[in-house]
Amino acid sequence: MPGFSGGGVGGGVGVPASAPPRPFRPSRYVPVSAATTFLVGSTTLFFCFTCPWLSEYLSSVIPIYIAVIFLFTLANFCMATFMDPGVFPRAEEDEDKEDDFRAPLYKTVEIKGIQVRMKWCSTCRFYRPPRCSHCSVCDNCVEDFDHHCPWVNNCIGRRNYRYFFLFLISLTTHIINVFGFGLVYVLHHRQQLDTPHAAVTMAVMCVAGLFFVPVAGLTGFHMVLVARGRTTNEQVTGKFRGGVNPFTNGCSKNISHVLCSSQAPRYMGRWRSPQAVDVQPPFLRPSLTEAQLEAKVLDNGIQNDRHSTRSKSSLDQMESQSADAEPPPPPKPELRYHGLPRADTEESSLLTDAPPTPSMYKYRPAFNSPGRNHTALTHPNKMIRGESLDSPSPTILQSSRQPSYRSEPSSLDGTTVVGGGVGGRRGGVERGEGPGGPSGTAGVMSGGMSGYSLTGRSYTSYPSSLVLSTGGSRSSSLRSAHTAHNPLATLQSEGTTDTSYKSLANQTPRNGSLSYDSLLTPSESPEFESAAHELSPQKPRALFPSATITGQPEVVSPSSPLQGYTSPFLSAQIAQQREGQLLQGSATFSSPHRAYLRAVSPPPPSSSGLPETQHLLQHNQDSSSRAPRNLSSSSSSPGARSLEPPVSPPPRGLSLGKSQTYIGEAGPQHKPRPTGGGIVLGGGGAGGGQQAPQSTSRPVLANHTTSKPGGGVKKVTGVGGTTYEISV
Amino acid sequence: MATEFHNLQELRHSASLVTKVFVQRDYSEGTICRFQAKFPSELDNRIERTLLEETVKTLNSYYVEAEKIGGQSYLEGCLACATAYIVFLCMETRYEKVLKKITGYIQEQNEKIYAPRGLLLTDPVERGMRVLEISVFEDRGSGSSSPSSSLSSAGSSAR
Repeated sequence: MPGFSGGGVGGGVGVPASAPPRPFRPSRYVPVSAATTFLVGSTTLFFCFTCPWLSEYLSSVIPIYIAVIFLFTLANFCMATFMDPGVFPRAEEDEDKEDDFRAPLYKTVEIKGIQVRMKWCSTCRFYRPPRCSHCSVCDNCVEDFDHHCPWVNNCIGRRNYRYFFLFLISLTTHIINVFGFGLVYVLHHRQQLDTPHAAVTMAVMCVAGLFFVPVAGLTGFHMVLVARGRTTNEQVTGKFRGGVNPFTNGCSKNISHVLCSSQAPRYMGRWRSPQAVDVQPPFLRPSLTEAQLEAKVLDNGIQNDRHSTRSKSSLDQMESQSADAEPPPPPKPELRYHGLPRADTEESSLLTDAPPTPSMYKYRPAFNSPGRNHTALTHPNKMIRGESLDSPSPTILQSSRQPSYRSEPSSLDGTTVVGGGVGGRRGGVERGEGPGGPSGTAGVMSGGMSGYSLTGRSYTSYPSSLVLSTGGSRSSSLRSAHTAHNPLATLQSEGTTDTSYKSLANQTPRNGSLSYDSLLTPSESPEFESAAHELSPQKPRALFPSATITGQPEVVSPSSPLQGYTSPFLSAQIAQQREGQLLQGSATFSSPHRAYLRAVSPPPPSSSGLPETQHLLQHNQDSSSRAPRNLSSSSSSPGARSLEPPVSPPPRGLSLGKSQTYIGEAGPQHKPRPTGGGIVLGGGGAGGGQQAPQSTSRPVLANHTTSKPGGGVKKVTGVGGTTYEISV
Repeated sequence: MATEFHNLQELRHSASLVTKVFVQRDYSEGTICRFQAKFPSELDNRIERTLLEETVKTLNSYYVEAEKIGGQSYLEGCLACATAYIVFLCMETRYEKVLKKITGYIQEQNEKIYAPRGLLLTDPVERGMRVLEISVFEDRGSGSSSPSSSLSSAGSSAR
């Protein structure tokens, strides 16, 4: 019970998500003790000294009436004090799949046509439902939060507002009774005012008179609130001052809601029936619709094709190239399909409903336990390898469901993260345990990719977040850092709302030519790796296991699900190129991209050899080449073509505005470029719309036939026949 | 080798939790308890749309019934006031009764529809009525259990 318990108000001790016990603070109990003392003490005195005469002189009904009112007051007082106001239990870890700093601080929801903002509660780890507020005294989110009343030492919320209101009314009535009948007594004993009875009665009258003014004022105030359907919190903060209150249903309905509705249930300390349902495989699956079947066939064909010929050849090519530049890289992980976990987080689904309210980040510390993610990441690569070819089938189905994906081989091609926009977009990284392992990596990878595409309206973007986020919805892409459940899950779209990936999808080549394999060159992968490693300080758990510079194939660069092939051996340019491709389709740019790009070393704009890659590397910056900060000396690439993004904002705090600025900057720069990789990585994940013009110009996702001319320039053929030269 | 000596229990496939899908609250009509009927795309290949939508619709109707302000709730309130709320110790409120019905309904749905598809619904009240949580399970297969089963079979045979 709240009020006098040392632990969280609401007494949710039985619930795992309840707040930790807080220190005993005696000062909290002073007002409630005083109130109790005054109420009970004064009334007792009144009964002892005044009531005998009243019952005798006037009628015996009066003391009974006063007693009844007093008991009613006391009962309501106790209920207001001890009843759980409607405390929300802390959200479980799984609900918060996204990283704090990537998630927006507010989500909007439309209530009866009025936009209402829901704020992220970092303590309770969910977006506060409308009218919910977090009480700092009780350290809980309370439903329909009215205020925290010190006189009852409890929050007043949905469950106990009625008792509080009745307490006020009954207390006012009681005060009036006591004062009135005391006055009658005194008036009849004017000559005997020095008797103790009269003195006590006068003292009680004084107390009553003293408390009458504030109590009556508060009662009147709450009567108005009830009639208007507002809470104290809303009234005091002026939420509906000039506007319309979406929570009101009319005066009479509001009153009846307060007084006559059924007692709302308690959320904390509920008896949880043991889960009696046993979930055992084999599982039924819904039958495919015709469209899905068709898509599946199509996808399968493409997939097979890819596996068999194109990618392999490109892989070989790449490997040979890498052999030139460096010691042979470890075998590439089969991460093709991985990229596209979708995140279906709580928030993400919220996001799909609400228009974006960007520009603020949650700044929540990563919620997931490191262990969990770590597990996901530790074996992911292996699993990914093994499963990359297996897992797609459901995802294919899923992806095939999306008409936009259907004809895109790239969606199947995990590696084509570029196409990654496709995969990326989905972002929905599904968090999973165990089986989520591979997906974890995939998630990471796809997150990166999806991040790009998804962050159309994303608020935060960190390179790491991009990498990791495979959020289904725009901002959710930022959040998901956890194991991507389904590598191709990202293909599934939640996405009708995500324009970014739709546009990306439109641009990805249909012939399945998207393949990153050809892009991979081992030469600069260490450099990339280190950069990537540095890039993602925030996501150690997700990224670091993979982002090692040891050049393990499995290491997943923070950038993407496609990571598989990129991480160790991906040269900076290639990485950039990939990124560019990824970004291209996606309308979203986010700072994470930027940060991500930082890791890669884009060739200087001036170098003619790589016009496209430059564009791809977005940059708000001017394309002057700067030595990448992060790139280690191990980079074998000749030049330091690292173009450091002019802006190196922390991933946090990127506002949409910023991103838009970046886009603007990048746009003109890249426009003249033929190949157009003018993908600008906006800081905050620019909306897809902005990117659209640029991205439509060319899908760089190209598959590339990479050749390695002597000068260390790799030629990459993009879709549409454009050729890019990347100097290696 | 190990596969030959599996006992029935070891042969059982195990399902492990993969992810959770959340059906959010629908606040379009205010703070009354309603869940969105939108079908989450992650479940596209796990369950038919109509089944989940039906479940959500039924749940919504239960919540409407629970929150209905009518004769029963009014009488309950009056009775509670008259007895100084002591009646709450003995009697179950209307909302709680409906919540019990909902729990039973969810249990039944889980048994009949969701568990066979590797899904599990969580009663929203456990999450503060903020989300309807659907746990998605995957078949981990007998592969994961074989090492242990081979060990156990080896152990048992050794005895």
